Amino acid sequence: MALFGRTDLPIQKNAASRFIQWLVMVLVFMAAIAATVNAYTGSLLAHWNRSVTGTLTVQVPAPMEKPGKPNDVPKDVAAVLGVLKIHPDVLRVEAVPRAKVVALLEPWLGSGEAVSDLPLPALVDVALKPGTDTRGVTDAIMKAAPTALVDDHRVWLNRVGNLAEGVGMIALALMGIIAAALGLTVIFATRASLAEFRDVIEVLHLVGARDDDIAGQFARRALGQATAGGLLGLALYAPTLGVIALLARRVDTSVLPNVGLPIAHWALLASLPIVAGVLAMGAAHVTVRRALRTMV
Amino acid sequence: MAFNRKKNKPFEGDTVALDTVDLSYDGATPVLSAVNLALPQSSFHFLTGASGAGKSSLLSLLYLAKRPTAGSLKLFGEDVTGASRNKLAGLRRRLGVVFQDYRLLDHLSAFDNVALPLRIARVPEAVVTQDVTELLKWVGLAEQMDAHPPTLSGGQKQRVAIARAVVNRPKLILADEPTGNVDDTIAVRLMALFVELHKLGSSVVVATHNESLVSRFPFPRLHLDGGRLTLLPPLKPAASILGEG
Repeated sequence: MALFGRTDLPIQKNAASRFIQWLVMVLVFMAAIAATVNAYTGSLLAHWNRSVTGTLTVQVPAPMEKPGKPNDVPKDVAAVLGVLKIHPDVLRVEAVPRAKVVALLEPWLGSGEAVSDLPLPALVDVALKPGTDTRGVTDAIMKAAPTALVDDHRVWLNRVGNLAEGVGMIALALMGIIAAALGLTVIFATRASLAEFRDVIEVLHLVGARDDDIAGQFARRALGQATAGGLLGLALYAPTLGVIALLARRVDTSVLPNVGLPIAHWALLASLPIVAGVLAMGAAHVTVRRALRTMV
Repeated sequence: MAFNRKKNKPFEGDTVALDTVDLSYDGATPVLSAVNLALPQSSFHFLTGASGAGKSSLLSLLYLAKRPTAGSLKLFGEDVTGASRNKLAGLRRRLGVVFQDYRLLDHLSAFDNVALPLRIARVPEAVVTQDVTELLKWVGLAEQMDAHPPTLSGGQKQRVAIARAVVNRPKLILADEPTGNVDDTIAVRLMALFVELHKLGSSVVVATHNESLVSRFPFPRLHLDGGRLTLLPPLKPAASILGEG
């Protein structure tokens, strides 16, 4: 018989320790969901950060007089384009066609005569060379067209960043609560087992068992139960993630872009059963050691 | 021999040395008072006295389930006062106890119960199998090795308990009424086992109130009366066992 896993206590059939397995399953499932929400928010932020960093959107207000032919380029816009095309920091510059601006507004204003008659601002998309500061380009634009609005998306991105941070913190707090719940459950289940096996433990002591030997038996049991529960939790998580991904795919990709989750996230998920096991093992060991001090 | 030594004064190298030991469970009524006891290596003593005289209490001091309220207790030369729990566990591994109520583990087979002290001491499993099998055969339980205690008779349980107590070849054997539930033939056989271990160097204390058993062996008696311990000579003269040996 291998020393590891040998047990003199009838804890294999014990209800309290089996309960740990089911509880850890639920806890790991919840932790996995929380971690995924956290990782997805982070990836989303990184995705948006990547796609808007180094880009500017210039809004040139429409002249107050009625627009001429749709393809006429207003004076200010022409000035902005002229400056940007020769600016050393600019990688690419492109005036957004009026049809596209109208299309962007369609969800809010509808289509048709009313919109095409509106004095719409002209939009210019600017891509900067990597690593350049937006300030120089912004100054150049403002000089060419003082009424232009330059948006480097920072304000928007900061707000999204704050949201992501908040979600991340909630997820982290949730995982902390889950870990605490796991620890407490193991402590109480272990105490219940200790009370149940008091006589057996006393005999083990009397034939020479050390506290560590006995605590080790409880700890190994908790490790096994919690790891098994953790694996069940992940088994439950996998199809849930599948369903969520399926539902998310039906949502517009501009709202929920299909970003990949980092390897670290999957590594974290894979480690959850181990983390739960080690946590349960530690909690059981400490609980038993403390309780045994008052015994024979 | 211990009973020849003056006043039973403790001696360096004694297996057990109690110096004016008191024991009280509630702090007021003494169960044992001013007990002095020295058990040399390889000694054999009966422990006698009426029920409630403190036999089990004295034994529980010796197997380290209780600590003296006052006085000092040395086991294998080590003072147990203030000894760490690991140290106590180490000392317990060197003694074997037969409990009056056996204290077998019901969820383990007779074999596993007997194997327990060996496995706890991390004895290789091959040795465990050999020693336990041999011992269980010797106490007449070859057929019951896989049986669990609840299915065994009182006498069978007692033999399992004795086998568990001696399987580790302990240096000190404490037996509380070890022959209370077996007939005389088996009682003598079990006593022969204790005598054998005694001859091999173990110190043995057998608590009993079976006078006929005591009178068959030339061993001194530790007699408890009202919590006080006195050393009495053997009921059977020593000469007759010398003739046997």
